[in-house]
Amino acid sequence: MDIEKAPPDRLVPARQADRDGAVKLNEVVPRRHPGRWLATILLLWLAFSFAQNVATNENFHWDIFAQYVFAPQVIRGVGWTILLTIVAMAVAISIALLLVVMRGSDNPILRTCAWFWIWFFRGTPVYTQLLFWGLFAVLFPRISLSLPFGSEIVGLDTRMLVTPAVAAIVGLGFNESAYLAEIFRAGFNAIDRGQLEAAQALGMRQGRIWRRILLPQAMRVIVPPTGNETIGMLKMTSLVLAVPFTLDLMFATNAIANRLYLPVPLLLVAGFWYLSITSLLMVGQYYLERHFGRGVDTIRARTE
Amino acid sequence: MNAIMTPPPRSTDAQPCVHLQGIHKFYGSVHALRNVDLTIKRGEVCVAIGPSGSGKSTLLRCINQLEEISAGKVYVLGELAGYAEIDGRMHVLAPRRIAEQRRRTGMVFQRFNLFPHMTAIENIMEGPVHVKNTPKATARENAQALLKRVGLADLAGRYPSQLSGGQQQRVAIARALAMEPEVMLFDEPTSALDPELVGEVLDVIKDLASSGMTMMLVTHEIGFAREVANHLVFMDQGAVVEEGDPRAVLNRPSNPRTRAFLSKVL
Repeated sequence: MDIEKAPPDRLVPARQADRDGAVKLNEVVPRRHPGRWLATILLLWLAFSFAQNVATNENFHWDIFAQYVFAPQVIRGVGWTILLTIVAMAVAISIALLLVVMRGSDNPILRTCAWFWIWFFRGTPVYTQLLFWGLFAVLFPRISLSLPFGSEIVGLDTRMLVTPAVAAIVGLGFNESAYLAEIFRAGFNAIDRGQLEAAQALGMRQGRIWRRILLPQAMRVIVPPTGNETIGMLKMTSLVLAVPFTLDLMFATNAIANRLYLPVPLLLVAGFWYLSITSLLMVGQYYLERHFGRGVDTIRARTE
Repeated sequence: MNAIMTPPPRSTDAQPCVHLQGIHKFYGSVHALRNVDLTIKRGEVCVAIGPSGSGKSTLLRCINQLEEISAGKVYVLGELAGYAEIDGRMHVLAPRRIAEQRRRTGMVFQRFNLFPHMTAIENIMEGPVHVKNTPKATARENAQALLKRVGLADLAGRYPSQLSGGQQQRVAIARALAMEPEVMLFDEPTSALDPELVGEVLDVIKDLASSGMTMMLVTHEIGFAREVANHLVFMDQGAVVEEGDPRAVLNRPSNPRTRAFLSKVL
């Protein structure tokens, strides 16, 4: 057997000894749970009757649902919503990591900047922020770099830079970065101080320590709430209407609903897609948690 | 400027490996180290003993700059640690330079401080690969050899959580040795271990001492101190009270405080 993959002694299944015939294991009779069976039957019955009602209820217009669930403009909306979620989260995560390092730095300028960023973006409503990003091109028609009281060095039309898609991503990403920064900070604070000292004693530089030693350990604490935030972001993308950005899923289904005067089936379409994407994200989160739990989650606690 | 630009001088046999000069350390109003002078020569095994809170661990941590000193000078391998002295003033070195200085010493902690997300061999390879830029294959070979040296050749792929305390501490020693330090620092390496596991770690340290490694050890194992040390330091209330040949200090302590301490632990 490959030595490196060999399980530690204490993880060898207890039944091994039994199979060798050396130990006669106790005959264990598991606890009975009649209440659980009863509850299961009751809940199944309730769920079934509810599902039956919803499926046959004409108010839900399932024919309209079926007609529009894979409609091109809905699928395009799904694509944009996923894209907005991923890019805004990527922006938010990058900024949040930077903010955490800045807050932990011994440079007072960096610390103060990070504090103000978090204070501002966490302290104002995301809807308001999105409105402002939408108005950015009106408020600042031209961005330019110029000498004080002198001529312009470089400059460009703001409308070229801050398109509705960019405004949506920046608005969502900047807002989220402030929340993530706090989550990340908690993750880094959870690491034993000895880890930093051990890395310093090896002569590692600060950047390497963050990347190689602290970040992988913080990830274990960071991933679950960040998964939470990602799912929150998925649904927060429906606010980009404020920019206005009009290609996301919620806007697409609303537009159809308004045209048909039938809000319910289109809400079901939107709900179906949000739930599907969330389920997909949860699978991804499971694998991330498994990856960053290595070395810690190898021995599971007894759960009963 | 010259003092910063010159490369670290290589130590020679004549030069002390560690030289502490008038070290003071304050934590707020607590005077943790009081005017400590200490010289550790090449190949010497210096053991510091003393009651809890006497400042022995703090002193050890000053040598590789995990603690900032309040007064005095620390020389490691002939080089002033942490500062550049220009016109009598101490200019703080860049973090990069301090990291470079730390590479010449290895440290073993009371609570092991292995990186929990890396296997035993990855822990040992971390320094060489990510600090010294040793090729991975070479680092792996060296790490495997070090694991063999500390008697853990079979456990390369285990995570720290799957190792006993004694095994973890031996991996930690191998991790420090992988950087090929010229001085090894041990901060109570057996204090967090079950009594039955102390021996295996002490054996590794003994083996290291007999190989000629310069080291400083803080410990409560007086018997071990007697056996391996050739320089014993007794500390109390932040000061070095008595030092010298271990047999002399342990058998005929001249200071009453040393006598009082030894009468309790021996």
